[in-house]
Amino acid sequence: MSLEHRAFLYRDVDEFLAVTVPFLKSGLERDEAVVAVAREPNLSALRDVLGTAGTPILYRDSAEFYRHPVHTLRDYQAIVKKSEPRTVRALAEPVWDGWDERQTLEWVRYESLINVVFENSGARALCPYDTEALPPRVVAEARRTHPLLLAGGDSAPSEEYIDPETFGSGCDRRVRFDRPRGADYLPIDGDDLHKLRSFVGEHARRNGLAGQPARNLVTAVNEVAANALQHGTPPIGLWLWRDGSALITEVGDNGFWRPGPSPLTGFIPPDSALQRGFGLWTVRLLVDLMELRAGWDGTFVRLHVKC
Amino acid sequence: METPWFAKRPVSQVRPGDHAWLAYSGAEERDSVIGPFVLEGLATNEKVVYVTDASADRLPGLGPRQLVDVHAHGRSGQLRVISRRDACLDRHGTFEPAMMLDTLAREVDAAFGQGFRAVRITTDYSWLVNEPGRSDLGPVLGCEHRVGDAVSPSTMAMAICQIDRRACRRDELTALRDAHEVLVEVNPEFDDGILKIVRTFQPDGLRVEGELDAARHTVFAEQLVQVSTRRSGVPRGGLHLDLSRLGFIDLGGLNLLAQHAVALPAGEPLVLDNLTPNVEHVIEMVGWHRLPGLTRGAERSITGGEETSR
Repeated sequence: MSLEHRAFLYRDVDEFLAVTVPFLKSGLERDEAVVAVAREPNLSALRDVLGTAGTPILYRDSAEFYRHPVHTLRDYQAIVKKSEPRTVRALAEPVWDGWDERQTLEWVRYESLINVVFENSGARALCPYDTEALPPRVVAEARRTHPLLLAGGDSAPSEEYIDPETFGSGCDRRVRFDRPRGADYLPIDGDDLHKLRSFVGEHARRNGLAGQPARNLVTAVNEVAANALQHGTPPIGLWLWRDGSALITEVGDNGFWRPGPSPLTGFIPPDSALQRGFGLWTVRLLVDLMELRAGWDGTFVRLHVKC
Repeated sequence: METPWFAKRPVSQVRPGDHAWLAYSGAEERDSVIGPFVLEGLATNEKVVYVTDASADRLPGLGPRQLVDVHAHGRSGQLRVISRRDACLDRHGTFEPAMMLDTLAREVDAAFGQGFRAVRITTDYSWLVNEPGRSDLGPVLGCEHRVGDAVSPSTMAMAICQIDRRACRRDELTALRDAHEVLVEVNPEFDDGILKIVRTFQPDGLRVEGELDAARHTVFAEQLVQVSTRRSGVPRGGLHLDLSRLGFIDLGGLNLLAQHAVALPAGEPLVLDNLTPNVEHVIEMVGWHRLPGLTRGAERSITGGEETSR
């Protein structure tokens, strides 16, 4: 069963309700698993119209649900799995304010990834975009990340739609990979990563990162370094520096990653820990952002964590 | 409840002054502790005093095939096997703590003159708490405290008091344990200062301490296979890993656990007990369902080294 992934461009709450309410109701009539993830005040408006008591609609506030793209993909996937054998009908309104340039790009990419992750789920997703409030760029990207478009009452395939791999590699080309001269450096030369973990833990602490986020970073860097030791070519090393409010770590080796990472690497939730790709997917969950670059001069994995 | 005044020590690190306690769950656990305790003493010019009614060639703890000439050690005076009657029973066959104290004091005093650098004492007193008509633990506890008072300041004597866990009630076990300062356990299967792996017997499995990373996957996988093979054919509610002291596990380690779990016979889960917050967090983040064959076991509920299952 294929996915139906449609962007819905709306101007006000009335238009929002006029489309989303019948969309959700129709799911209830067909006994689908119905989910409504929306921003306020849309969410409250939906609850008012559809009611909460006795309605088997799963309501979620976008502000809670859209915090980290890879977590959100995982959470939607959990809903799909849990609902089986019923298919899912989701109203899915992302959050576009409060992100910096780089984060916005990652959320745009997230919309594109939906097409791969839920490709065979039979799910229907309607993603509302507020054309009055959102920056034109965000709306323009929605046309490129959704195969279907609903605007001004017209439903049609989006002519600007780009397949997720091509879209992802476009995103990768927009990422800058420069590194400050003064970055701290730790060579990774032995098999034993104990020293690396202490180094990362210590730097995390000095940068005000404590508790679970610090431990998550240690686990993530350890994984990337273990990969480099297993597959990479020496010299292997870790760079670490502060960029504004973020702590950046980068593991690099001299190897040429063949066949290189795809634009989808680490984004698709694996079925189990036994599957290829479990490690990098988990790294993406553990940090705020992971960037990969496999070039002629080596393989580099950069992790961003807000301090 | 943590009880920090106890020292938990592998058997090979028991030293003079230790009045140690071993509550075993079966012959395998007992043999893994008492075997090394006796044999290491005999191998290193220390005297071994074993109070037991068993004959010297069937000493409990040395297993069915004793790899040491107990008779030769008996003749040289290095191994003293003393019957209960000679050690601590009065004319009516009643347990007499004072007599036990005298016996032990005599053996320790003699050891100095005999040129031994230390004395290892052990006895299994399950029979004592098992006695029909026993009213309370008073005499046994009294004896334990006095043995403790005699051994602790000693620069020569060390003792392991053995008891079968099944011999008495849980509260009685706790009371007996509290009369000792040292809890003795098996020697670790592996310990490189970063990762430590210890065999556990109740529940059946391994305790994994420290940090598990790629450099240590091979040894950990070997231990998992060993412990699974040793217990194969005796399904006893899964293989348990006590992770209460596991500070770090890498993602490859989780993969390794899942690999091992799916290879176990059906209905035999790999149970993760006492997860630390860090390890639990990573597992919850990826989701338990992505770790097939792994189940969450007991919560942290450690009372002085006695882990209890829910």
